[in-house]
Amino acid sequence: MSLDAIGPFVAWPLMLLAAWIAGEYLFRRWQLPRVCTYGAVGLMLGGIGLSQGVASRETQGFMANVALSLTLFELGYRINPRWFRHNPWVLIAGIAQALLTFGAVFWVAGRFDVAIDHRLVLAALCVATSPAAVIRVTHELRSAGQVTERLLHLCALNCLIAVLLLKLVVGYWHLETSGDLGKAAFDSIYVIGLSLVAGAVFGVIAPVLNRFATSSQSTTVTFAIAVLLLSGVALGLHLSPLLAALAFGAVARERRIMLSHAERNFGALGDVLTVFLFVFVGSLLSWTGLLTSLLLGVSVLLVRTASHTLVNLGIARASGTTFRKGALTGFALMPMSAFAVLLLEESRSYGFDLARDSLPFIVGLLMLLEVLGPLATQRALLLARETHPEGN
Amino acid sequence: MPLQAFGKSAALSLGVELELQLVNPVDYDLTSASTDLLELLSRKPFPGTVTPEMTQSMIEIATGILTEHAPLLAELRGMRDTLVSACDRLNIGIAGGGTHPFQRWSEQRVFDKPRYREISQLYGYLAKQFTVFGQHVHVGCASGDDALFLLHSLSRYVPHFIALSASSPFFQGVDTMFDSARLNSVFAFPLSGRAPFTLSWDDFANNYFTKMEATGVVKSMKDFYWDIRPKPEYGTIELRVCDTPLTVERAAALACYLQAICRRLLDRAEPEPTEDDYLVYTFNRFQACRFGLDGTMVDPRTRESLTIREDILATLRHVESHGAVLQSLPALEEIERCAARDGNHATHLRRVFDETHNVQSLVQESTRALRHGPRV
Repeated sequence: MSLDAIGPFVAWPLMLLAAWIAGEYLFRRWQLPRVCTYGAVGLMLGGIGLSQGVASRETQGFMANVALSLTLFELGYRINPRWFRHNPWVLIAGIAQALLTFGAVFWVAGRFDVAIDHRLVLAALCVATSPAAVIRVTHELRSAGQVTERLLHLCALNCLIAVLLLKLVVGYWHLETSGDLGKAAFDSIYVIGLSLVAGAVFGVIAPVLNRFATSSQSTTVTFAIAVLLLSGVALGLHLSPLLAALAFGAVARERRIMLSHAERNFGALGDVLTVFLFVFVGSLLSWTGLLTSLLLGVSVLLVRTASHTLVNLGIARASGTTFRKGALTGFALMPMSAFAVLLLEESRSYGFDLARDSLPFIVGLLMLLEVLGPLATQRALLLARETHPEGN
Repeated sequence: MPLQAFGKSAALSLGVELELQLVNPVDYDLTSASTDLLELLSRKPFPGTVTPEMTQSMIEIATGILTEHAPLLAELRGMRDTLVSACDRLNIGIAGGGTHPFQRWSEQRVFDKPRYREISQLYGYLAKQFTVFGQHVHVGCASGDDALFLLHSLSRYVPHFIALSASSPFFQGVDTMFDSARLNSVFAFPLSGRAPFTLSWDDFANNYFTKMEATGVVKSMKDFYWDIRPKPEYGTIELRVCDTPLTVERAAALACYLQAICRRLLDRAEPEPTEDDYLVYTFNRFQACRFGLDGTMVDPRTRESLTIREDILATLRHVESHGAVLQSLPALEEIERCAARDGNHATHLRRVFDETHNVQSLVQESTRALRHGPRV
């Protein structure tokens, strides 16, 4: 029976249900991170073409953006910018590993004869660490400790720097294709600056709206809707909804709106959207041409992980932790799929043609990481003994 | 194994232990960070000692043996500063306070050490619910008999220390109406309460302890969770009823107030303690836990009833001359300010809650207070 026959309104929920049930089962059976399973289900469905044409890509893209934005809001809220001042080594690690990853991926892609433009896009995307996988896995394990702390802060930095680099690449591309320096500069600076400002404005307004909230649950709803609105506004203005959500979370934290323990992950809403996000991202990755990009994917994965691990190992002692925890931090930073795919989608929808053409080069890596990334994070946290022994 | 002989220590020497809470600076919940923190601290000499505690969200610091207020305070401040800067480097918050106001005990991770694993297995949820934070003060005693004399004479003053140190009004997310909710967690343990009445160390060690040991209930003095217990290996008695105050200044003052009272007691300024002193003990103790300085206490001898605040202020007059000899007048002044004017830290925390209506802000204020003193 083809999915067209039962219609998109049944097909998508069925996929989500399958992913959810499989995720719960495999987590209980082998402690496999739930998001790995969601991603794998998405990949399978994408692979056999079941997910094509069941709903408008724009609507789904928006929903996925909201799902990821909720995670980014939470990440922004979770990180403590003052830590970078008290322990500059963490900030140095973030910048160093971003630059090293960018350079290393750019170089490796060159060995595979990828054109410069595409190498730039690929390298910028590889700087990112996917907050959806990182946040989900840390919560699933209820982990706490230096690896967790560094993982979250470096993940935020990586996302920020990846957006920055990609916008620079977009700017460079505009300059090359149109020779229009104004448009190039506009794209990079305007988008980044205004995204941050939009997020910050929401960070100031949302607490005011929150005064109408009467319980911790209603606080969650207020902020979830605010994130939804912010994503809409950002997409409408051609800004980066992901960056805006990160800024929203960070400003909300600075304004000391206390979100209590119970609402982590935005509760059941967050759960549903996460299943959707990972299935959607998996289903976007086409299997055609996979084999050719797989070797490139493995090579990029190796240099990217090596960059992360080397830098964090290098600064471990100076930044107050052990070599072991430093190395595990680097390893835990592996996930990138959801963030990279949505960033690429966003650039594509804003008319950056290079984004569409770059996907085939990176699809092998993204497929690998859709499943391997969260698993690496989980293993690293378990090895660091930072997880709760009675983790559910 | 029979109880060891009562060790040698200088009379009226002091040692202070503080259990502190480790929190994350985002939502201010307890965080399992002691392993990372201890690793970092082990790289440099620490002014005092720092050790892990039962759950990974607690650490304990202890001063060396000191005799005067100024050096005691200096050492406590030195430890505090070292801890605060190490915590800053690791993005951990550190705070005093007898309870964490909203932690869920089931979330706590037990520190990996055989004794803690045993305790955790024996007591089950009690062990984790015991994620409470106390100040212990050791006072050196010249002999075992002196130790028991002081231990029982001090029973009358136990409510003072509960009320002055109380800093645990909130527990599991609610105002418990107690100034020290922490002690209610301690009472759940089977061997909590008071030591049996005897003034002879020989009787205590060879009669009581030997019998208890033969029952198989206890193996060492560590298994007793008494309010005051003798510590023969150090040659001290240990007062265990205090909540960890929000500041090290208050902690030092409490220790020196105890020292001054002990000096007066050793002068035999009061009649010998008797078993009947304990008739009102649990009542007075409850009053101190529940109402703090406003609690009522009944004098076991005169049977007069007065507020704990009044009794403290009267006691301060009696021990002033001893404080002068011990060079601890600034400590006694801090105690007087607390009793007569500012109130204890439980009162302070309730004031913060009245402004913010938010339990997280209580921990935020506690982390701030440990660094800079309480906000006025």
